[in-house]
Amino acid sequence: MASGNLTSNQMPRRRLDVGHILIYVVLTFGALLAIVPFLWMISGSLMNLSEATGRAVLPNVPQWDNYRQAWTDANFKDYFMNSVIIAAITVTGQLVFCTLAGYAFARINFPAKSFLFTLMLATLMIPEAVTWIPNFITVVWIGRISPIPWINNWPSLTIPFMASAFSIFLLRQFFFQVPSELWDSAQIDGAGHLRFLIRIAIPLAKPALLTVALFTFIGSWNALAWPILVTTTPDWRPISYGLLAFLQEAGAMVHLQMAGSVITIMPILILYLLVQKQFTEGIATTGLKG
Amino acid sequence: MTSTTTTPPIIRQRKPIRWLDIREGLTGCLFIFPAFFLIGLFGIFPIGFAVYVSLHKWRITPGRFVGLDNYVKSLDNLAYVAFFWVVAVVLFLVVRNLSKLVQRSKEHGDNPWVWLLPALVTAAGVASFIRFIVLLLPEILGIPDKLKGLERTRALFLQFLGEAWHVPQVQSAFWTSVVITLIGIGLAYLVYNFISKSEFGTSYYTSLITAILLLGGALLLGWFTWSEIQRAYAEAFEAGESLEIWAQVITISAGFLLLLLSWVSWRGATKQDSSIKLVLRLVAAMMLVIGAWVLIAELPRVIAAGDKDWWQGLKVTVFYSIGTVPFQLGISLVLATLLFQNIRGKSLYRLIFFLPYITPTVAAAAIFKVFFSSRPSAPVNSLMALFGLDPLKWLDEPKGILQLIAGPNADIPTWAIGPSLALVVIMIYSIWSYIGYDTVIFLAGLGGIPRELYEAASIDGAGRWAQFRNITLPLLSPTTYFLTLLAVIGTFKAINHVWVMRNGAALGTTDTASIVIFTEFNRNTQYGYAASLSFVLLGVILILTIINNRIAEERVFYG
Repeated sequence: MASGNLTSNQMPRRRLDVGHILIYVVLTFGALLAIVPFLWMISGSLMNLSEATGRAVLPNVPQWDNYRQAWTDANFKDYFMNSVIIAAITVTGQLVFCTLAGYAFARINFPAKSFLFTLMLATLMIPEAVTWIPNFITVVWIGRISPIPWINNWPSLTIPFMASAFSIFLLRQFFFQVPSELWDSAQIDGAGHLRFLIRIAIPLAKPALLTVALFTFIGSWNALAWPILVTTTPDWRPISYGLLAFLQEAGAMVHLQMAGSVITIMPILILYLLVQKQFTEGIATTGLKG
Repeated sequence: MTSTTTTPPIIRQRKPIRWLDIREGLTGCLFIFPAFFLIGLFGIFPIGFAVYVSLHKWRITPGRFVGLDNYVKSLDNLAYVAFFWVVAVVLFLVVRNLSKLVQRSKEHGDNPWVWLLPALVTAAGVASFIRFIVLLLPEILGIPDKLKGLERTRALFLQFLGEAWHVPQVQSAFWTSVVITLIGIGLAYLVYNFISKSEFGTSYYTSLITAILLLGGALLLGWFTWSEIQRAYAEAFEAGESLEIWAQVITISAGFLLLLLSWVSWRGATKQDSSIKLVLRLVAAMMLVIGAWVLIAELPRVIAAGDKDWWQGLKVTVFYSIGTVPFQLGISLVLATLLFQNIRGKSLYRLIFFLPYITPTVAAAAIFKVFFSSRPSAPVNSLMALFGLDPLKWLDEPKGILQLIAGPNADIPTWAIGPSLALVVIMIYSIWSYIGYDTVIFLAGLGGIPRELYEAASIDGAGRWAQFRNITLPLLSPTTYFLTLLAVIGTFKAINHVWVMRNGAALGTTDTASIVIFTEFNRNTQYGYAASLSFVLLGVILILTIINNRIAEERVFYG
């Protein structure tokens, strides 16, 4: 009996039984389904118009000029730059504000702390649809009295997103793990909370900060409904909205649309491939996208 | 939902307040201030503001106060029912939280009621602060009206803003609220230092404030709904019409109540012995039948009287949710289980499965739009041609899939034609897009199951399938529950990809609830109405969350 069990335990290690081949077949089929749209997008972005609307699978001669046309003629250059600026401002704001708040929630005692924390987490449950209307009115109003315009300008696209309950939660969890001995010894050296945060806690929290930055960047890059509401001219139109507008205006130009899609996807794709581990682990532990 | 249920008690040693503590507290407040200011302005204030907007006729500029008219427009008399039920649920929550508070204080031998007076005064302060905002808002929102004919400069806006702030009523409301709140906090300070001996004092204080505010809000809402019904009757009387609001409110509420009672007694039955169990189950079944019968008789009339677009949007959303969530979870569970086996290239597969999820939504939806284009030469139609099938209109097809499968001549009743083909394409997109995410989470869940269990099971001779059924599935249930909740809520909030893929040709069969709200707001500029719809959506999401939680309580196994 004992030896029989041993062999059956060793069974899975044999590489090429039928079960394993089946597993590989299923997984590969799934992977193909996941990736084929991307391959077709790249291929389609290099076709000419008749190939893209016809039945071609691969372009006869790669039309690299499509990318130039999308970049300059279809204004993707401007949308791209807008999105980069918007994302950079939002990420910076979040890193500063959410780090401060996350640290305070983790390590400072102040009145009504747990109440404020619950109140903040409760906002995560509210669907975007509820806040569109009031926030739009608020933003219009702030624009009327502030020195710089808000509608059709960067503030309305960035400032409302500079603090997120989700990021604060994430960073708070991380700052909890900073050993309290470090804080005790810093206090003996006469450091206050701010100096401790900057000198010791932030360097330790780099992975969490990177995760927050990544999610914020993606969220900002993907934003669609809100930018539609607050940008009426192309001046500050971010790339997702730019692509949507291009889809609606140039319905037949499939090849250029695909080139635009490639341009939109590229930065996220590169980020993903660079910090893939951070990405999947961040999502697996937190369970959310920006 | 309130702080009492989730807040961990603040653990601290009892000591008199010192200068260092105050300094620490101030530092903390300074640290959270910027983030909290933003979250307050763009996350918390909007909820109240949206309530305000939803009670007005509001097209770009605010119009007159219309009470619950916006809600009645979309839901007809069901709106009154819904509001009464909100009141009931909030009252229930208050009672539950208070009893929890009493229980907790007994365990620690405390007397929480010494906090009642400070909590009452502070709650009154908070309530009068809300009153201040409600008084200030119309003054501010009315400024553009006052500026008609004048040049709209920043200086003028600022000047009028100053005037709005200095309106005597607003001023007195503001200072009253400040004084009352300060008195409340002062009283709390006195109680903290001289009366209460408990280390959980502040937690009692905040719990009581929340309870009092919720109680007040519920009573106010109940009174408001009641007076709105009276108003509707009065208006109908003047117009010489007859109304049956109360009749419908009572029958529909009774129907829901019966369903609820049926569920409660069915659940209670499981704890009893066999004869009582049988009786309870029979009673439960009877109540279920009667309740369902009442609702089936009554609800269609209400729905028919409500907003067609909105109900269509909800129907589309329900179709979308049912057609997406099970497939998404099922497929990703299979993939995760396979990936968890001893195979090569695990990380490469994971990387590829994850690609659709991280892809910017608009770009991915754009690819699908081209893939499922109605052109005969589009990729999917070409593929179908390879198999000798006729091309389909995909995203341009408003007809239900069951109708398409049965053929154009089949006579299918309208309620049974299923989601439109266009919506099915959107479902496919959604499944494609979220599988990678679910797989990663499932993988994390699988990694948390102790290996020894499988080893023990295989020694006992359990096969792969038995192991999967009896070990993997139950131990994975917390993950499954989390993903289900997230996916269901996600489908009810869905907008971006639907917005990209929707086509005029699909005749609105792909417009989910969020899309209906967005178009009412952005295209039809019905701000008030759209705000009321968004609250109905929030209500639906909350109900789904509660149902999901209840099911999870019974089915989820936290090993």
